[in-house]
Amino acid sequence: MKPASFDYVAPRTVREAVDALAGNGRKTQVLAGGQSLILEMHLQRIRPELVVDINRVAELDHMDVQMDGDDSTLRVGALIRHDAFESEQAVPGPLGTLFACAVANIAHPPIRSRGTMVGSLAWAHPASEWCAIALALDADLELHGTGGPREIPARGYFHGPFQTARRPDELITAVRFPLLTGDTGVGFIEHRRTHFCFAQVAVAATLTARDGVITEARIGLVNCADRPVRARAAERALIGADLAPPAGRRVPGDHPFARAGRIAAEQDAAPVAEPYADVEYRRQAIAVLVGRTLREAAKDQRSRAAASEGDHR
Amino acid sequence: MKITLTVNGEQYPLDVEPRRVLADVLREDCRLTGTHLGCEHGVCGACTVLVDGRAVRSCLMLAVQCDGGSVRTVEGLAGPDGEPHPLQRAFSAEHALQCGFCTPGFLMVAAGALERDPGIGDDPERVAALVGSNICRCTGYEPIRRAIMRAAREWPGRPT
Amino acid sequence: MEHWSRREDERLLTGAGRYVADMHVPGCLDAAFVRSDVAHGILREVDCSVACEVPGVVGAWSAAELADLPECPRSAATLQDLPPVPHTLLARLSTEEAVAGREWPVLAKDRVRYPGEALAVVVGEDRYRAEDGAAEVVVRIDPLPAVVSPSAAAADSVRLFDGLSNIAFLGEAGEPIEESVWREAAVVVEARYRQQLLMPTPMECRAILCVPEHDRLTGWSGHQMPHRLRRELAALLGWPAERIRVVVPDTGGAFGSKSAAFPEFVAVAFLAVRLNRPVRWVEDRLESMLVASRGRGQDQRVRLAADADGRLLAYELTIDADVGAYPHLGVGLPMQTAWMATGPYATPRVHAGVRSVLTNTMVTYPYRGAGRPEAAIALERSMDVLARWLGIDPAELRRRNFISPDDFPYQTPTGRRYDSGNYAAALDLALQTLDYDGWRAEQDRRRTDPDALPVGIGLSCYVERSGGEPGGLHEFVSVEAGEDGTFTARCGASPSGQSHETVFPALVAETFGVDAARVRLVEGDTDAQPDGLGSFASRSAQVDGAALQHAATLLIEQARERAAVLWGVPAQEVAWSHGTVHPVRDGSAAMDLAELVKATGPMRVDDRFEAGMAFPFGAHAAVIEVDPELGTVRVLRVVAVDDCGRVLNPMVVHGQAFGSVVQGIGQALYEGIPFDQDGVPLLANGLLDYLLPTFTEIPPIEIKGTCTPSPSTPLGAKGAGESGCIGTPAAIVNAVADALRVADPDLLQMPLTPDVVWRAARAPKLEEIQ
Repeated sequence: MKPASFDYVAPRTVREAVDALAGNGRKTQVLAGGQSLILEMHLQRIRPELVVDINRVAELDHMDVQMDGDDSTLRVGALIRHDAFESEQAVPGPLGTLFACAVANIAHPPIRSRGTMVGSLAWAHPASEWCAIALALDADLELHGTGGPREIPARGYFHGPFQTARRPDELITAVRFPLLTGDTGVGFIEHRRTHFCFAQVAVAATLTARDGVITEARIGLVNCADRPVRARAAERALIGADLAPPAGRRVPGDHPFARAGRIAAEQDAAPVAEPYADVEYRRQAIAVLVGRTLREAAKDQRSRAAASEGDHR
Repeated sequence: MKITLTVNGEQYPLDVEPRRVLADVLREDCRLTGTHLGCEHGVCGACTVLVDGRAVRSCLMLAVQCDGGSVRTVEGLAGPDGEPHPLQRAFSAEHALQCGFCTPGFLMVAAGALERDPGIGDDPERVAALVGSNICRCTGYEPIRRAIMRAAREWPGRPT
Repeated sequence: MEHWSRREDERLLTGAGRYVADMHVPGCLDAAFVRSDVAHGILREVDCSVACEVPGVVGAWSAAELADLPECPRSAATLQDLPPVPHTLLARLSTEEAVAGREWPVLAKDRVRYPGEALAVVVGEDRYRAEDGAAEVVVRIDPLPAVVSPSAAAADSVRLFDGLSNIAFLGEAGEPIEESVWREAAVVVEARYRQQLLMPTPMECRAILCVPEHDRLTGWSGHQMPHRLRRELAALLGWPAERIRVVVPDTGGAFGSKSAAFPEFVAVAFLAVRLNRPVRWVEDRLESMLVASRGRGQDQRVRLAADADGRLLAYELTIDADVGAYPHLGVGLPMQTAWMATGPYATPRVHAGVRSVLTNTMVTYPYRGAGRPEAAIALERSMDVLARWLGIDPAELRRRNFISPDDFPYQTPTGRRYDSGNYAAALDLALQTLDYDGWRAEQDRRRTDPDALPVGIGLSCYVERSGGEPGGLHEFVSVEAGEDGTFTARCGASPSGQSHETVFPALVAETFGVDAARVRLVEGDTDAQPDGLGSFASRSAQVDGAALQHAATLLIEQARERAAVLWGVPAQEVAWSHGTVHPVRDGSAAMDLAELVKATGPMRVDDRFEAGMAFPFGAHAAVIEVDPELGTVRVLRVVAVDDCGRVLNPMVVHGQAFGSVVQGIGQALYEGIPFDQDGVPLLANGLLDYLLPTFTEIPPIEIKGTCTPSPSTPLGAKGAGESGCIGTPAAIVNAVADALRVADPDLLQMPLTPDVVWRAARAPKLEEIQ
């Protein structure tokens, strides 16, 4: 389980990194956190000829909120590690809550202290939490290549398992998320067999409401197809529905959240069979998890609304 | 490739292939074999060491990435006079090891967290996340949890 | 010692432990193996020519090429061909008939029979270079259909060995039961259970380092049976055993999986001798996933008959056991299940039949529990089904059927003679510790609350066997007194985490009445202790402990006799206390043993001690909660009451029991080897696919004990440490069945993954079909 030989460069600037990636005709990999790449190199499923280590590119180790009129955007540089999001306060508003809920499901502390959010987007594992969130929230990726910078919206970025719109000579330098407004609630639930495996299914959801009626819903599905899925049919079915979350533990079958869950499972998802989870079971798990995550998001929305009313009083 | 690692305070000028992972370089080049390789794919955590103070899987880092950096291994836990680290004492007291193969990894995960914030002993969830970071096949984990809580309680400078 | 509660701890906690891979031997080469990526096929070509040219590669050989390897001129070897992997006939675990025509080659010759089977060995200056070479070996295999379950393989539609059946062994225990018994019984439970293949998964994978020196070879290996390894290495090299030394340094767990001379061990020893250089093989985790020995692996059918009051009338267990691709220990291992089929109940008629069947999987081998979990799980699952069918509380059903404490020794219908036991006492303690009645009330409460998750309570009472089988119940030990007042104890055991260095010196010291610090233990070195059996079958405390106690007693006798001669008094006039001898009538003339040794010469007792089989037992109880919509099982509580007779060190036994329970939870809920349609395990992501329990899954576990000493040795210890693997799985599965009230027990096959439980939750309930 030893990596095969490769050449190694550690550029100091994005420009140097892009130059290293450019047109060398060799199988090249970008090394950021390395928590998937080096694993794959141990398994020898990836045998790069050149590794471009971007960990010394200081300009990538940066995260900030940018204001653009009424809209605020969170910009996450390519060296921001998973653990930067462990605190809800790391990112303003409901987005911080969503990230903190999601990151708790990403491996465990020693992996989170190395692995990066942008690295997860670059790797594009179907069970990646960040990929589904980026897709659901309409994130934009910033790339630099020999032809200069360009942006790709997340909805056009994921092409399949480990396949993306990134060209081999391009470096993803950052990802930008629109911040979520205070009238939005968030939820994230992951279902897996033990703490140490990939998600069988996970769901990220946001619900925005006015006067108790859902005005916008965003649902990202993790490991429900060969790539991250945005459950648009389920989202549409929720618009205009009552936000009130079901009172008990179970989401009743006739509740809008349960209906949305079934729509997500039947229409939006395209699950493939895995050991211990055939397609029938995975559709069941998707339906249940979407319903429950929507309930979490609705509860979150209500508590935010209550807190905000309290502030105004 | 020529690199310099500072391991447990000692400088090691080394010439390593880029592909060599930190764990192998610690074990073979620095002859510090307390860091064990249990899975070589980042899951079990037996190889966990501190790089610049943070717990990492040394099988998922290349040694060349650590050039100029500081590494701490289980050999560097005890005090300069050989006085055992609070975690070492606590692991023994709680019988938190049997075969001992995974032990250095658990010690280093806990050491990294406790040395940044000894207060984690007051937060069972954070301790659970630490114990839940690695695999042990002998103890069933509960003694390891107790050992980390005990070390936090007995941390130097903590009110008793 | 002031900081350390075990002698092992200081080195293991400071990074000073030494496992095989930690040993630094100048000039040592690393071996890597080229492995089959198909389960079954005709091997057409193995070409190592390019691999041999890779920088840093010393050599690369297929089976055919290795036969032609010229002997190193400085080598002490006289080897012709690579010998087959040694099998063992020890304790009837294999048979000559099973092995004949089905020898296990170290490197596949013309046929590949399991995924990962070694096809070539590459030796390099380090592991990186050896793997560089392995990547360049060209292999061509024409795939054949594969069979991965014993029931499928027994049909012989795909044969692993041309012209030979896949069925390698047939056996039985007890007398066949007449059909009238089943016909006339008030109730007969019938069920099928799959005891899935498991991977023992010690955190240290297997390793061997062979160092030739002059005309000897030293093999360093994390191993449970160093003397057997020495014997097998000597046999395959054609050397007398004295020319082999096996040393066991620290061993990172074993759980039964480290007691053989594996194919890789044979190749490494062979190459070290042929090349006359140190060679090591340090198994990596992916190799381990493919080719470490498997445990369990049985397809079982049961029939359990009872009268209307729940008194057991007859029990029949029919086993198709998975041997793996070559007949090794897996052939006879399922007889452990057959012999233990009776369990803790006074069932008048019990019969167990075994078919051991070859499959296209890595060989089955002992894994913690080794045949006894399979027996306990089948019986205890059936007991809970019976209780539900009869409407009798499962605890009460068991009480009605336990063998009475007055009936020991008890001869079972399946050929075991149980030494001692009090099964009801263990169950009562388990129920009380759990608050059984409280949980039953909570269960009723939740059944009336539509929003509550159902809980289930599961019981499992077991009796197991420890120490070994006849012919392997002895051990070799010695105890020596030094001139400096210290004692040296030696024994054939070989630990992998069981704290021998702490426990055995304390036991010897207690026997002598001296401080434990004066006693040193030597084990795991065949030069220091020439004979021994090793650590397996939970035997170390029971057999080695009793043997050391016995040897210490003999040494005391010897000291008294010597003092008697010295003082010119009869031996009965010499007393022993606290490491000194003194005349009975004059306590002031005490002589320390060190002085006696100085005065009379070296004093050492070598002993071959024979113990009897012992039968530890216990009762485990689990409470679980099911989320029926997702099929997830959350374990809320486990109570394990184990009786291993006299406990030498409560901390160590508690640690063993606790860890064992967690492995039992692993079998019940998480661990398993799925295969693709071509028979290749779906474990490409290693420990992200084969799921060991992690801390997140661990419920509150309470370990308690009762103490019924074994009458078979003065020490009275029985085996400890396998109890959780034996007792816990059925408690968990029974709890899930209890929560779901599922009518068909066959629906709940381990591991109880969410999909399995979700399906079972939707299946008809018992009350719906009655």
